[in-house]
Amino acid sequence: MPTMTGPDPAMLEAAGLDKTWSRFVTFTTEAGRSVTWHVLDTGMQSSTTQTLVCVHGNPTWSYLFTDLLRTLSPDWRVIAIDQSGMGYSERTGPRRLAERIDELVAFCQQVVTGPLSFAAHDWGGPVAVGACGRLDVQALILANTAVAKPDDVAVPPLISLSRRFVDLSCRRTASFVHGTSLMTTKEHRHALNAPYRSATRRASVADFVADIPLENDHPSRAALDEVGRIFDGLTIPILLLWGAHDMVFHDRFLSDLRRRQPQATVERFENSGHLVLLDGNVGPTVAHWLHHRSSMGPTSLPAAEVIGEDHSFSSAFSSVERNSTNHELLYQGPDGTLSWIQLAERAAVAAGVLASAGVVKGSRVALLIPPSPDLLVAVAGLWHLGAIPVVVDPSSGLRALRRQLRAQAPTAVLGTRSALAAATVLRWTPGARRLTFGAMVGALNLKTPQGKPPMPVNLSAEDLAAIVHTSGATGPAKAVAYTHGALVAQRSPIEELLGNAKDGALTTSFAAFSLLAPALERSFIRPRVPIDQPSKLGFEELSALTSAHRVSVAWLSPASARQLVATAKGRHLRIARILLAGAPISPSLATAVADVSQAVVLSPYGMTECLPITDGVGAGEQHHSGGVVVGQPVSGAVVLLRNLSNGDRDVHAGQLGELLVAAPWMYASYDQRHLANEAASVFIDGVRFHATGDVGIIDEGRVIVLGRLRDVIHTADRRVAPLEVETPLSQKLHEQVAVVGVGPVGAEVAVAVVNAKNRTLKLAATELAALARSASPIPLAAVLIGKLAVDHRHQSKVDHAQLKRAATALLNGA
Amino acid sequence: MSERIFVTGATSLLGRTVVDHLQARGDEVTCFQRHVDTRYRSIAGDIRDAELLTRSAKGHSAVIHLAALVAPKPAFSEAMEVNVTGAVNVAHAARDSGRLVHISSPSVAFTGHGAIGAPTHAPTYRGIDAYAHTKALGEEAVLEVGGLTTLVIRPHLVYGPGDEQLIGRLLDRALHHRLALPGSGAALIDTTYVDDAASAIVSALDRTADSPELSGRSYVVSGGDPRPIKEVVSAIVSAFGLNPRLRSLPSGLAMGLGKAFDRWWRGDEPPLTEFAVQQLRLAHSFDLRATKHDLRFQPQWSFDQAMAALADFARSQAGHEFLNRRRNRSRS
Repeated sequence: MPTMTGPDPAMLEAAGLDKTWSRFVTFTTEAGRSVTWHVLDTGMQSSTTQTLVCVHGNPTWSYLFTDLLRTLSPDWRVIAIDQSGMGYSERTGPRRLAERIDELVAFCQQVVTGPLSFAAHDWGGPVAVGACGRLDVQALILANTAVAKPDDVAVPPLISLSRRFVDLSCRRTASFVHGTSLMTTKEHRHALNAPYRSATRRASVADFVADIPLENDHPSRAALDEVGRIFDGLTIPILLLWGAHDMVFHDRFLSDLRRRQPQATVERFENSGHLVLLDGNVGPTVAHWLHHRSSMGPTSLPAAEVIGEDHSFSSAFSSVERNSTNHELLYQGPDGTLSWIQLAERAAVAAGVLASAGVVKGSRVALLIPPSPDLLVAVAGLWHLGAIPVVVDPSSGLRALRRQLRAQAPTAVLGTRSALAAATVLRWTPGARRLTFGAMVGALNLKTPQGKPPMPVNLSAEDLAAIVHTSGATGPAKAVAYTHGALVAQRSPIEELLGNAKDGALTTSFAAFSLLAPALERSFIRPRVPIDQPSKLGFEELSALTSAHRVSVAWLSPASARQLVATAKGRHLRIARILLAGAPISPSLATAVADVSQAVVLSPYGMTECLPITDGVGAGEQHHSGGVVVGQPVSGAVVLLRNLSNGDRDVHAGQLGELLVAAPWMYASYDQRHLANEAASVFIDGVRFHATGDVGIIDEGRVIVLGRLRDVIHTADRRVAPLEVETPLSQKLHEQVAVVGVGPVGAEVAVAVVNAKNRTLKLAATELAALARSASPIPLAAVLIGKLAVDHRHQSKVDHAQLKRAATALLNGA
Repeated sequence: MSERIFVTGATSLLGRTVVDHLQARGDEVTCFQRHVDTRYRSIAGDIRDAELLTRSAKGHSAVIHLAALVAPKPAFSEAMEVNVTGAVNVAHAARDSGRLVHISSPSVAFTGHGAIGAPTHAPTYRGIDAYAHTKALGEEAVLEVGGLTTLVIRPHLVYGPGDEQLIGRLLDRALHHRLALPGSGAALIDTTYVDDAASAIVSALDRTADSPELSGRSYVVSGGDPRPIKEVVSAIVSAFGLNPRLRSLPSGLAMGLGKAFDRWWRGDEPPLTEFAVQQLRLAHSFDLRATKHDLRFQPQWSFDQAMAALADFARSQAGHEFLNRRRNRSRS
């Protein structure tokens, strides 16, 4: 055996790896061949209980698993191997997939003792999955890989190109190696390239590419097909780590893996690419998942109320079926009307069109249709088939939209012609079927569709019903998954909020709420204002609606509520009930709305993840804490507080805590966000609570909301919620005020920013500063003036994080 | 139980206040300073005189070292003699008692960057400002002297009624209509009312007795109630009934002028130094958690309360005299 050299110890140490982890291991395959591998092995320590074997792809090496080696040891023995001919392992002749699997199996049998798990990347994925078929494996972690090429996905151009010129690209030149290392940051490039400096050392890189079975008669085809079958049959926990910007293993490959293993946990890294293991900061996710995978379980409040007495489940679609002979109008708006019977008929036709486009139960279908009768038909059509509508927020910006759509890898996209053109040009949904709504409407107009519409599929309470997105006011928007059970359960608390005026219609400035109309079996009137401009909805429009359509309830965003008050001019709106939502509603706004309407004004608490939570009674009441009274939890919902300093539930009366909520109509999970799910889930007596990220207090059973947890000012003396200071200041100064903490957490000082015209913050005049200080319950280090930036969805929430950065920069001096 | 405390540099506002605090609680104080002060039991001497110091400090239970050379632009060699050699002399003299509180300055850790809520850093300043530079070396040297329990206190911008250092200079400039600040004037700075600084020093003195494990640590002390520097200056000048109108000097220009004065000015007190400009334009506020916890110290004077006290002083006979003395001097 020729002497082999390992990696430069200095290079390993620079990456935070122990140089003694680098060693050579010789073992014998079943076929009797002796193989020598270079490995990075953290070894057995007294606290080690399990082993994770890491298998790299092409053209990387064990260095790829740096983060896992550092993070998981010594609790885990982590062995990252260099495959034959790769990294610093023995240079051998070509190896087929089947031989690589044989070698990995032999290695594990001869080197690993105790429970074994795998982590694998790229073409290491099929090798590890193949080995899973012959070993007792506890858990499997895969990153940007594939176990088969999905039928509807083309061979990635990079792969086919490298294959065509394999010798030139992979062996004679280092372009394949360098091309790969360029996908990550500079600090890792040298290390990734190090083992592949000469053409001789790169021979296996070329052999590996040549072994990808692109053709049906390829020698490794059978082995890969077998890998696919093994993967489909796995019953062990699987974690999929996915770098979103990968030209080769893109989102369609992730969808394929998820289709084969729907129970797999997914963590998507929006800012990482192919080499997610190096630049995705995967350590915390993997450590957490490995540690908790056995204790996890989707537990929600009992679904008894959801399923009903006779335990038969009726999905969110059942109201459409039930009303299929009802001629009453369900929707009226500037964009047309829709009756129940039309909805039922068109949904069946739409279902036929969608089914012929390949949409089946569980398919995700993105909707680029503005709220309209068409949207109602599309959603009903999708539920008819058991497919999952993906609702995106077009106002969140092109980048966010693209990210949201690509992450869902939808089977199809439904949209207007212009939206679909954008989706095509901007590559929002590669691989998806694009259906213009025009084509569907065309099919609808035929009256007699081709063939019989498919039968509605049977759904259970656990089946996913829809994906919606958070507003993204705090970080990138998260995809929120709802089940049919939750949507059905949501009906009763919303009815409770709308009140007994059963016969009256509902109008709202939240255009997307029109989707609730069928579930509520209540007529919906869409106002004549642009969807994205709720602030245009004022007294004139609302008053016209109420007189023409017997609208009894209006559900308004803060912007619309302000416009209503501003345009009332002493008149009174004749309406029974007004719900205010979208952001904490100041008591003064609620009072002003009550004054111009003489309606019952409620400001229920709710969020994308759970709506509604409270009954909203007490809007307009000044609470001594400065917080917003949102009423008592609606029946079925539970609200608890979590101590801010230690996370316990020992919060005494009147003490500030984080609001935890649970309700049968709560979301199921954040899609593809393992850590976010973990962070937001609190299990109390076996029930999953959602940690809202809001702080508040509970006063005699009523919930008082005091702002966002991340905006809490943590001074040396105590934690202060934003509204505790903002409310008295705003009242004194008659202007919107935001308060942020600057300095290190635990020693922050409070800074007030009074809304003004100037875009760049500056010091307030002496008099204003003195007035603000006189109204503040805590010392203010500085009083500034400047334009307060608000969120796009509600035009109401101030971005405290951005304000904090700006205030810190100013007060740091220059 | 009353103690015998040896205090160097008791003539400054802070020094006098420390002595007052000690005497108020019944301690017996010996002051060591350049000129005899008949109000206190005092010894005239120079801390550069090691032999005299050691003799004078004998028989005391602890030493508080406040004396320092703080002239705006001292000669470096003289500053070294007082702030380093002198400080080491005091530390050696304190070995007899076994307990020392060394008064330093937050500027010994100045990095050239603004910081809000900065923790206490090592005394690494090695710049052009002779005071900060020699105080940094002095702090290091004092902590190297073994055989005693030493705590370092770094009070930030101490002021109070009758203070010549900060308030005196500000009033001089206001009287000359030369009140200007570089940059926006928004830099957040901590200030320390003299009573808070003195009580922190007395707390530290007590900790050298009951918490010897803290020996060798440094603590920044302030009122913990920072304000933008423009507000601080305006409030002080207004407290004396003067026009608080501040001119704003572009940061770059101020830095240039400061550098030029550093280099070419030959008088005692240059109108501006680069170091001063840095101090005025960058945030200087501190994280006091360790100070409060370890020293068991809690500031008693909010910024507004301190300003009210200053205004009371300005209205008093002593305050009128304080201002008139400066007014007459500026006329002559």
